Amino acid sequence: MERIFLKKDLGKNLEEYDFLGLKNALKMQPQQVINKIKESGLRGRGGAGFPTGIKWETVFSIENDTKFIICNADEGEPGTFKDRFLMENLPFKVLEGIIISGYATGSKYGYIYIRGEYVEAIKIVKKAIEKLYEKNILGENILNSDFLFDLKLVRGAGAYVCGDETSLINSIEGDRGKSRIKPPLPVFEGLYGKPTVVNNVETLAAAAEIMSYDNNPYSQMGTEKSRGTKLVSISGDVNKPGVYEVEFGKLTVKDIVQEVAGGVKGEKIGFVIPGGISTEALTEDELNVPYTYENLQKMGSNIGSGGMIVVSSQRNHLEIVKNVSDFFRDETCGTCFPCREGNKNINKIVSDIYKRGYPTSHEIEIISDIQYAVSSAARCGFGESSLNLILSIFEKFYTKKVEV
Amino acid sequence: MKVKINNREYEFDQEISILDATKKAHIKIPTLCYSEKLEPFGSCRLCSVEIKGERTLKPACVTKITDGMEIFTHSQRVRKTRKTIMELIIASHGINCNLNCLTCSKSGSCEIKEVAEEIGVTEIRVPPISNGLPEDRSSYSIVREPQKCIVCNRCVRKCSEVQSVNILTIANRGPDTYVTTFMDKGMGNVDCTNCGQCILECPTGALHEVYQMDQVWAALSDESKYVIVQTAPAVRVAIAEEFGAEPGKIATKQMVAGLRLLGFDKVFDTNFAADLTIMEEANEFIERFKNNGKLPLFTSCSPGWVKFLEHNYPEFIDNLSSCKSPQQMFGAIAKTYYANKLGISKEDTVVVSVMPCTAKKFERVRSEMKGDVDYVLTTRELAKMFKLAGIDLLNVPQEEYDEPLGISSGAGAIFGATGGVMEAALRTAYEVITGKELEKLDFESVRGIEGIKQATVEIDGINLKVAVVNGLGNARKVLEMIKSGEKEFQFVEFMACPGGCIGGGGQPIPTNNEILLKRMQAIYEIDRSLSIRKSHENPAIKTLYEEFLGEPLSEKSHELLHTTYIARS
Repeated sequence: MERIFLKKDLGKNLEEYDFLGLKNALKMQPQQVINKIKESGLRGRGGAGFPTGIKWETVFSIENDTKFIICNADEGEPGTFKDRFLMENLPFKVLEGIIISGYATGSKYGYIYIRGEYVEAIKIVKKAIEKLYEKNILGENILNSDFLFDLKLVRGAGAYVCGDETSLINSIEGDRGKSRIKPPLPVFEGLYGKPTVVNNVETLAAAAEIMSYDNNPYSQMGTEKSRGTKLVSISGDVNKPGVYEVEFGKLTVKDIVQEVAGGVKGEKIGFVIPGGISTEALTEDELNVPYTYENLQKMGSNIGSGGMIVVSSQRNHLEIVKNVSDFFRDETCGTCFPCREGNKNINKIVSDIYKRGYPTSHEIEIISDIQYAVSSAARCGFGESSLNLILSIFEKFYTKKVEV
Repeated sequence: MKVKINNREYEFDQEISILDATKKAHIKIPTLCYSEKLEPFGSCRLCSVEIKGERTLKPACVTKITDGMEIFTHSQRVRKTRKTIMELIIASHGINCNLNCLTCSKSGSCEIKEVAEEIGVTEIRVPPISNGLPEDRSSYSIVREPQKCIVCNRCVRKCSEVQSVNILTIANRGPDTYVTTFMDKGMGNVDCTNCGQCILECPTGALHEVYQMDQVWAALSDESKYVIVQTAPAVRVAIAEEFGAEPGKIATKQMVAGLRLLGFDKVFDTNFAADLTIMEEANEFIERFKNNGKLPLFTSCSPGWVKFLEHNYPEFIDNLSSCKSPQQMFGAIAKTYYANKLGISKEDTVVVSVMPCTAKKFERVRSEMKGDVDYVLTTRELAKMFKLAGIDLLNVPQEEYDEPLGISSGAGAIFGATGGVMEAALRTAYEVITGKELEKLDFESVRGIEGIKQATVEIDGINLKVAVVNGLGNARKVLEMIKSGEKEFQFVEFMACPGGCIGGGGQPIPTNNEILLKRMQAIYEIDRSLSIRKSHENPAIKTLYEEFLGEPLSEKSHELLHTTYIARS
């Protein structure tokens, strides 16, 4: 599969990399940069899909001497590794995006928070930051402008919930990695109580890319609600797992599995998890759905982080459910009751089901009720989505689907 | 601001939380992690409500109302969600044959039981899960039973936000999250002040006092022992609550009768010892004031406060009054003066205290004054003993305290409320210094539930700057102000618990602001109703000095009634 935007910069070292996006941005007023990002239709690539330009504009419009940009590189969603790919292969593009967002929002300080397990990415980004300081692309008078920006790398200690922006902020501040109550949103009161933009690695890389063009090719691609391209990391039972850039709306999920990732390994597709393990599974006959935010939502699932996991029909579905439940049981931060107790209890039920080999209707009813409560009342996105996949597998494979 | 709650329109002029708004609309929303004295925390999610246009439910405790908001407090989605969360909570609360409601310390005041009823939980469909954590019995005052803990953080927050003591914390994450002390050392091995505020805050039976009821029963049935009981001023205005009476019901005489029915040989009053404390402390103050001694003088009646100071501000130890607390003074006098009078040996005399306080259990074993008091019961424990003995407290014939250690003044009674020690001391100090009779006995400026009260009191042309402080968080603030020179005082009363002894860690649960105020009113009512309202006019105290102690601060009183402190940092 052709890489659309990223191909031209792959493998470039600092001498070759042009920082065109940043150079263009520095020639413009911050509001113009924001407008360009807004026009591009770029939505946050971390999973929530919030319009990036609006986030930047909110922070820009708040008057405060201190504002922060945080690049969320705590990629912890199982099956998702596109941010790692970006940091390891295109570190300058990621950093460029951070600096641009700093310029656009009037922030002088940035943090890149990388999950502790990404040892290689940490090494590469660290070196890249040092080089940017040497080359006057970070620090004072960036590229001879009067813009000043400092960037610091923070290494996460390895907690999935720190991918939630408020947990991440707590973690940088040295507190427990647990979510904060929203409101206030981080754009108003984030790191150290200051206005803070938290953007995903891919979002910032895309922003840098968008800024590097005079015209706006990004906005010409995709659909109205899902513009541009998306990095999809495909893993599981496919012949060619990897990170691919696909244009929104051009391909269906099935196309991505069959054409981009080389088709399923094994007899046939059992199910596909389209966006990481907090998104609902799609069965084989649900895969003819165009890959866009809106279409996947219609199917009751989500683009999520873009971590697509393909599961062959030969696998034991219950083993996967057990695995996913183990993960969420361990990774809930433990602050809010529904998420902590819900994941703990479901894990126990799922373990029983796994041992037995099949669930009872009573168990499915309880799982459904717990998922309902947790997704309605958990404190952060982690809890809200933690039981979606588990319930969807039980609903789609272990009960007869009732048509309404 | 106009909002609709359950399709009815309400108007509020402030941006309050949904929880406060619904309270004003007389709609009760269940809560567990919420507490009026603490910052809203938003973790139990039982207060979740539906808001029109919102994708998920929102917790009422931390969500503010906005103009035009449409709130549904008990919709289908809300009810279903709450019910499931409650089921999960109960499943993790360690209820099995060994840990059941029947034996729980909070069997009569269980908040989760109450909330489960409000939510209408009728079955628990998930199997119980125990965290398997061991009990913490390292403290002389407080027991922790982590298997009953639901990790609502209220104890942690109370200890930190209100008391600024910070000995409790959250450890681990996810389902392994639990409440513990620093390095898992146990309550007895960290800087715990034993104030027991965590017990009052706990919605389950995960925290309770170290029980001494069994030892007291044993002493009562031992015929070779002469068992004396003393009751603190704050107990009499609270104990009736355990029998269903309205807060603020004064049950002094019923309690005295009940104690006799339990079999105590003599029923005495800590108020007597409070008067004695005032004699010593007022004179100590006058002496320090006249001879350029260490000032400000800090009161030392509250053992939670004393331990807090020893841990956190040892540089102020010399400011502490050397007077023992009334509890300890009583024990010392009972085992010497009174036992001698009766011709009973010290060894055969058993002194039991009934206190609103859990820290008194620790004070009893302090090496500086060990042996004065044998057992300490909280208000709650005494109520349990009454119940066990079948004593219908509200209906027993009323009786008076025994003499002479049961005779007391109104000054002794007000020790039970914050500001009481100060007021009592001022009544005596004024008359000792001036030799004139005090016209107005009520020092209104030191009364009330406020955390820090300051006043200037004129005595014989001298302006005394005094302060009254309750709650350890406020104590820390005031100590810092004194340290930095921002404030200067000559005399400061400190109480570990918010509201003073009426809000003590050993008092009936619930103890909230509304209840505190009612208990406080009752305390001042007792003072008003008494003919003797000044400690130095207590005839039994006068006799004690004539017959035994000589005069305040005498050698004898120093030997029996004064103590020392240690730096614990």
